[in-house]
Amino acid sequence: MEVSEPVLLILLSLAEQPRHGYAILQDTARMSDGRVRLSTGTLYGALRRLLDEKWIERFKERDNSRGKQAYRLTTEGRRNLQMEVARMKRLTRLAALRVARKET
Amino acid sequence: MLPLYRTLLYLYPTGFRCEFGEEVLEVLSEVQGEIRKKSAMARIFFAVREAGGLLRGGLHERLRSITGSHDSGIFSLGRFAMKSEFRFPKAAVGLMVVILAAVMFTIEKAKAISASVPHANPSVGHIQPAQMTILPSLLVAMFGAIVVGLIGWGILFALHRSGVQQLSVMNPSTGVRANK
Repeated sequence: MEVSEPVLLILLSLAEQPRHGYAILQDTARMSDGRVRLSTGTLYGALRRLLDEKWIERFKERDNSRGKQAYRLTTEGRRNLQMEVARMKRLTRLAALRVARKET
Repeated sequence: MLPLYRTLLYLYPTGFRCEFGEEVLEVLSEVQGEIRKKSAMARIFFAVREAGGLLRGGLHERLRSITGSHDSGIFSLGRFAMKSEFRFPKAAVGLMVVILAAVMFTIEKAKAISASVPHANPSVGHIQPAQMTILPSLLVAMFGAIVVGLIGWGILFALHRSGVQQLSVMNPSTGVRANK
Protein backbone atom coordinates (compact mmCIF):
# COMPACT_ATOMS: atom_id res chain seq x y z
CA MET A 1 0.00 0.00 0.00
CA GLU A 2 1.23 3.50 -0.79
CA VAL A 3 2.07 5.55 2.27
CA SER A 4 1.56 9.17 1.37
CA GLU A 5 2.30 11.95 3.82
CA PRO A 6 -1.34 12.32 4.97
CA VAL A 7 -1.61 8.55 5.46
CA LEU A 8 1.65 8.54 7.39
CA LEU A 9 0.37 11.32 9.66
CA ILE A 10 -2.89 9.44 10.25
CA LEU A 11 -0.96 6.30 11.17
CA LEU A 12 1.35 8.25 13.48
CA SER A 13 -1.66 9.83 15.13
CA LEU A 14 -3.18 6.40 15.79
CA ALA A 15 0.18 4.95 16.86
CA GLU A 16 0.05 7.14 19.95
CA GLN A 17 -3.50 6.26 20.96
CA PRO A 18 -6.89 5.35 19.43
CA ARG A 19 -8.70 8.39 18.09
CA HIS A 20 -11.96 9.31 16.37
CA GLY A 21 -12.17 11.23 13.09
CA TYR A 22 -12.15 14.79 14.41
CA ALA A 23 -9.31 14.06 16.85
CA ILE A 24 -7.25 12.61 13.96
CA LEU A 25 -7.78 15.80 11.94
CA GLN A 26 -6.65 17.96 14.86
CA ASP A 27 -3.65 15.77 15.60
CA THR A 28 -2.40 15.63 12.00
CA ALA A 29 -2.58 19.43 11.77
CA ARG A 30 -0.73 19.72 15.09
CA MET A 31 1.98 17.21 14.08
CA SER A 32 2.69 19.04 10.82
CA ASP A 33 2.57 22.51 12.46
CA GLY A 34 -0.58 23.30 10.49
CA ARG A 35 1.02 22.53 7.15
CA VAL A 36 -1.13 19.46 6.46
CA ARG A 37 -4.82 20.11 6.98
CA LEU A 38 -6.78 17.13 5.75
CA SER A 39 -10.29 17.60 4.48
CA THR A 40 -12.87 15.26 5.95
CA GLY A 41 -13.34 13.56 2.56
CA THR A 42 -9.60 12.89 2.28
CA LEU A 43 -9.48 11.59 5.85
CA TYR A 44 -12.29 9.09 5.36
CA GLY A 45 -10.94 7.95 1.99
CA ALA A 46 -7.64 7.16 3.69
CA LEU A 47 -9.36 5.52 6.68
CA ARG A 48 -11.40 3.32 4.35
CA ARG A 49 -8.22 2.18 2.56
CA LEU A 50 -6.44 1.50 5.84
CA LEU A 51 -9.45 -0.49 7.09
CA ASP A 52 -9.54 -2.51 3.86
CA GLU A 53 -5.83 -3.28 4.18
CA LYS A 54 -6.36 -4.16 7.88
CA TRP A 55 -3.77 -1.63 9.04
CA ILE A 56 -6.37 -0.13 11.39
CA GLU A 57 -9.61 -1.26 13.01
CA ARG A 58 -12.79 0.54 13.99
CA PHE A 59 -14.54 0.30 17.33
CA LYS A 60 -17.10 2.17 19.42
CA GLU A 61 -15.66 4.35 22.17
CA ARG A 62 -17.04 3.09 25.49
CA ASP A 63 -16.14 6.10 27.62
CA ASN A 64 -18.17 8.36 25.37
CA SER A 65 -21.91 8.64 25.94
CA ARG A 66 -22.47 9.20 22.21
CA GLY A 67 -20.59 5.99 21.41
CA LYS A 68 -18.46 7.57 18.72
CA GLN A 69 -16.62 5.39 16.24
CA ALA A 70 -12.89 5.41 16.88
CA TYR A 71 -9.90 3.91 15.12
CA ARG A 72 -6.77 2.14 16.32
CA LEU A 73 -3.75 0.48 14.75
CA THR A 74 -3.79 -3.28 14.33
CA THR A 75 -0.69 -5.34 15.09
CA GLU A 76 -0.10 -5.64 11.35
CA GLY A 77 -0.57 -1.89 10.91
CA ARG A 78 1.97 -1.11 13.64
CA ARG A 79 4.47 -3.52 12.09
CA ASN A 80 3.97 -1.96 8.65
CA LEU A 81 4.34 1.52 10.11
CA GLN A 82 7.61 0.50 11.79
CA MET A 83 8.87 -0.84 8.46
CA GLU A 84 7.87 2.38 6.72
CA VAL A 85 9.63 4.49 9.36
CA ALA A 86 12.75 2.30 9.00
CA ARG A 87 12.62 2.77 5.21
CA MET A 88 12.34 6.53 5.62
CA LYS A 89 15.24 6.55 8.10
CA ARG A 90 17.44 4.76 5.56
CA LEU A 91 16.35 7.22 2.89
CA THR A 92 17.03 10.32 4.99
CA ARG A 93 20.41 8.90 6.08
CA LEU A 94 21.35 8.34 2.45
CA ALA A 95 20.04 11.80 1.53
CA ALA A 96 22.11 13.42 4.29
CA LEU A 97 25.23 11.55 3.13
CA ARG A 98 24.78 12.55 -0.48
CA VAL A 99 23.98 16.18 0.26
CA ALA A 100 27.00 16.44 2.55
CA ARG A 101 29.26 14.86 -0.09
CA LYS A 102 28.06 17.31 -2.71
CA GLU A 103 28.87 20.29 -0.50
CA THR A 104 32.46 19.23 0.21
CA MET B 1 -23.11 24.19 4.67
CA LEU B 2 -24.10 20.80 6.08
CA PRO B 3 -26.93 20.31 3.54
CA LEU B 4 -24.38 20.84 0.75
CA TYR B 5 -22.01 18.31 2.29
CA ARG B 6 -24.91 15.89 2.73
CA THR B 7 -25.73 16.29 -0.97
CA LEU B 8 -22.08 15.78 -1.96
CA LEU B 9 -22.07 12.54 -0.01
CA TYR B 10 -24.41 11.16 -2.67
CA LEU B 11 -21.39 11.10 -4.98
CA TYR B 12 -20.08 8.23 -2.88
CA PRO B 13 -21.20 4.64 -3.47
CA THR B 14 -24.04 3.46 -1.21
CA GLY B 15 -21.78 1.11 0.76
CA PHE B 16 -19.41 3.90 1.72
CA ARG B 17 -22.30 6.25 2.55
CA CYS B 18 -23.96 3.70 4.82
CA GLU B 19 -20.73 2.91 6.62
CA PHE B 20 -19.21 6.38 6.99
CA GLY B 21 -21.87 8.91 5.93
CA GLU B 22 -23.17 9.93 9.37
CA GLU B 23 -19.67 9.90 10.83
CA VAL B 24 -18.37 12.18 8.06
CA LEU B 25 -21.24 14.64 8.70
CA GLU B 26 -20.59 14.53 12.43
CA VAL B 27 -16.90 15.36 11.91
CA LEU B 28 -17.82 18.10 9.44
CA SER B 29 -20.18 19.70 11.96
CA GLU B 30 -17.45 19.56 14.63
CA VAL B 31 -14.92 21.20 12.29
CA GLN B 32 -17.53 23.78 11.31
CA GLY B 33 -18.10 24.61 14.97
CA GLU B 34 -14.38 25.23 15.38
CA ILE B 35 -14.12 27.37 12.25
CA ARG B 36 -17.17 29.51 13.18
CA LYS B 37 -15.03 31.80 15.33
CA LYS B 38 -12.64 32.54 12.45
CA SER B 39 -12.80 35.19 9.73
CA ALA B 40 -15.17 35.04 6.74
CA MET B 41 -12.20 34.34 4.46
CA ALA B 42 -11.13 31.36 6.56
CA ARG B 43 -14.71 30.04 6.54
CA ILE B 44 -14.89 30.30 2.74
CA PHE B 45 -11.51 28.57 2.43
CA PHE B 46 -12.70 25.82 4.75
CA ALA B 47 -15.97 25.34 2.82
CA VAL B 48 -14.13 25.12 -0.53
CA ARG B 49 -11.58 22.68 0.88
CA GLU B 50 -14.20 20.42 2.43
CA ALA B 51 -16.47 20.47 -0.64
CA GLY B 52 -13.43 19.75 -2.85
CA GLY B 53 -12.39 16.90 -0.56
CA LEU B 54 -15.85 15.33 -0.73
CA LEU B 55 -15.99 15.80 -4.50
CA ARG B 56 -12.61 14.22 -5.04
CA GLY B 57 -13.20 11.47 -2.50
CA GLY B 58 -16.63 10.70 -3.97
CA LEU B 59 -15.25 10.40 -7.50
CA HIS B 60 -12.38 8.26 -6.27
CA GLU B 61 -14.65 5.88 -4.37
CA ARG B 62 -17.10 5.73 -7.27
CA LEU B 63 -14.29 4.94 -9.72
CA ARG B 64 -12.94 2.31 -7.35
CA SER B 65 -16.36 0.66 -7.08
CA ILE B 66 -16.72 0.64 -10.89
CA THR B 67 -13.24 -0.58 -11.77
CA GLY B 68 -12.91 -2.81 -8.71
CA SER B 69 -9.29 -1.77 -8.52
CA HIS B 70 -7.66 -0.91 -5.24
CA ASP B 71 -6.28 2.57 -5.47
CA SER B 72 -5.18 4.27 -8.59
CA GLY B 73 -2.26 6.63 -8.61
CA ILE B 74 -4.47 9.32 -10.13
CA PHE B 75 -5.87 10.17 -6.72
CA SER B 76 -2.68 9.63 -4.80
CA LEU B 77 -2.67 11.69 -1.64
CA GLY B 78 0.65 13.40 -2.07
CA ARG B 79 4.25 13.04 -1.02
CA PHE B 80 6.02 9.79 -0.11
CA ALA B 81 3.71 7.91 -2.47
CA MET B 82 6.42 5.71 -3.87
CA LYS B 83 6.21 2.08 -4.88
CA SER B 84 9.27 -0.08 -4.97
CA GLU B 85 7.83 -2.70 -7.30
CA PHE B 86 7.76 -2.41 -11.08
CA ARG B 87 4.76 -0.52 -12.46
CA PHE B 88 3.53 -1.06 -15.96
CA PRO B 89 2.67 2.35 -17.42
CA LYS B 90 -1.06 2.76 -17.91
CA ALA B 91 -0.46 4.80 -21.06
CA ALA B 92 1.26 1.74 -22.58
CA VAL B 93 -1.89 -0.34 -22.06
CA GLY B 94 -3.96 2.30 -23.86
CA LEU B 95 -1.43 2.46 -26.68
CA MET B 96 -1.42 -1.33 -27.04
CA VAL B 97 -5.22 -1.36 -27.26
CA VAL B 98 -5.11 1.31 -29.99
CA ILE B 99 -2.46 -0.63 -31.92
CA LEU B 100 -4.44 -3.88 -31.59
CA ALA B 101 -7.58 -2.12 -32.83
CA ALA B 102 -5.63 -0.70 -35.80
CA VAL B 103 -4.24 -4.15 -36.66
CA MET B 104 -7.71 -5.74 -36.46
CA PHE B 105 -9.14 -2.96 -38.60
CA THR B 106 -6.38 -3.45 -41.20
CA ILE B 107 -7.02 -7.20 -41.33
CA GLU B 108 -10.75 -6.63 -41.85
CA LYS B 109 -10.03 -4.06 -44.54
CA ALA B 110 -7.65 -6.47 -46.30
CA LYS B 111 -10.30 -9.19 -46.18
CA ALA B 112 -12.84 -6.83 -47.73
CA ILE B 113 -10.43 -5.85 -50.53
CA SER B 114 -9.56 -9.50 -51.10
CA ALA B 115 -13.25 -10.38 -51.42
CA SER B 116 -14.07 -7.45 -53.74
CA VAL B 117 -11.21 -7.79 -56.28
CA PRO B 118 -10.23 -11.44 -56.41
CA HIS B 119 -10.37 -11.87 -60.18
CA ALA B 120 -10.48 -8.31 -61.52
CA ASN B 121 -6.91 -8.54 -62.80
CA PRO B 122 -5.87 -12.11 -63.66
CA SER B 123 -2.17 -11.21 -63.61
CA VAL B 124 -2.35 -10.20 -59.88
CA GLY B 125 -3.77 -13.51 -58.78
CA HIS B 126 -5.64 -14.28 -55.57
CA ILE B 127 -4.93 -11.96 -52.64
CA GLN B 128 -4.23 -13.92 -49.43
CA PRO B 129 -5.63 -12.71 -46.08
CA ALA B 130 -2.93 -11.03 -44.01
CA GLN B 131 -3.47 -12.74 -40.65
CA MET B 132 -1.75 -15.95 -41.77
CA THR B 133 1.55 -14.11 -41.92
CA ILE B 134 1.20 -12.03 -38.74
CA LEU B 135 2.16 -14.69 -36.19
CA PRO B 136 5.35 -15.84 -37.94
CA SER B 137 6.31 -12.19 -38.51
CA LEU B 138 5.79 -11.40 -34.83
CA LEU B 139 7.90 -14.39 -33.80
CA VAL B 140 10.68 -13.35 -36.16
CA ALA B 141 10.51 -9.76 -34.85
CA MET B 142 10.64 -10.97 -31.23
CA PHE B 143 13.56 -13.27 -31.97
CA GLY B 144 15.35 -10.39 -33.70
CA ALA B 145 14.72 -8.09 -30.71
CA ILE B 146 16.09 -10.72 -28.30
CA VAL B 147 19.22 -11.20 -30.42
CA VAL B 148 19.79 -7.42 -30.65
CA GLY B 149 19.23 -7.09 -26.89
CA LEU B 150 21.72 -9.87 -26.14
CA ILE B 151 24.33 -8.35 -28.44
CA GLY B 152 23.83 -4.94 -26.80
CA TRP B 153 24.13 -6.43 -23.33
CA GLY B 154 27.23 -8.34 -24.41
CA ILE B 155 28.85 -5.10 -25.61
CA LEU B 156 27.99 -3.31 -22.35
CA PHE B 157 29.31 -6.26 -20.35
CA ALA B 158 32.55 -6.28 -22.34
CA LEU B 159 32.92 -2.54 -21.70
CA HIS B 160 32.22 -3.07 -17.95
CA ARG B 161 29.17 -0.85 -18.10
CA SER B 162 26.34 -3.31 -17.51
CA GLY B 163 23.92 -2.88 -14.58
CA VAL B 164 25.24 -6.06 -12.95
CA GLN B 165 28.74 -4.65 -12.75
CA GLN B 166 27.45 -1.27 -11.55
CA LEU B 167 25.59 -3.03 -8.72
CA SER B 168 28.56 -5.18 -7.76
CA VAL B 169 30.62 -2.09 -6.93
CA MET B 170 27.79 -0.44 -5.02
CA ASN B 171 28.05 -0.07 -1.25
CA PRO B 172 24.82 -1.72 0.01
CA SER B 173 24.59 0.38 3.17
CA THR B 174 24.79 3.76 1.49
CA GLY B 175 23.76 3.02 -2.05
CA VAL B 176 26.89 4.86 -3.17
CA ARG B 177 29.34 3.47 -5.67
CA ALA B 178 32.44 2.30 -3.83
CA ASN B 179 35.81 3.74 -4.80
CA LYS B 180 38.15 1.26 -6.40
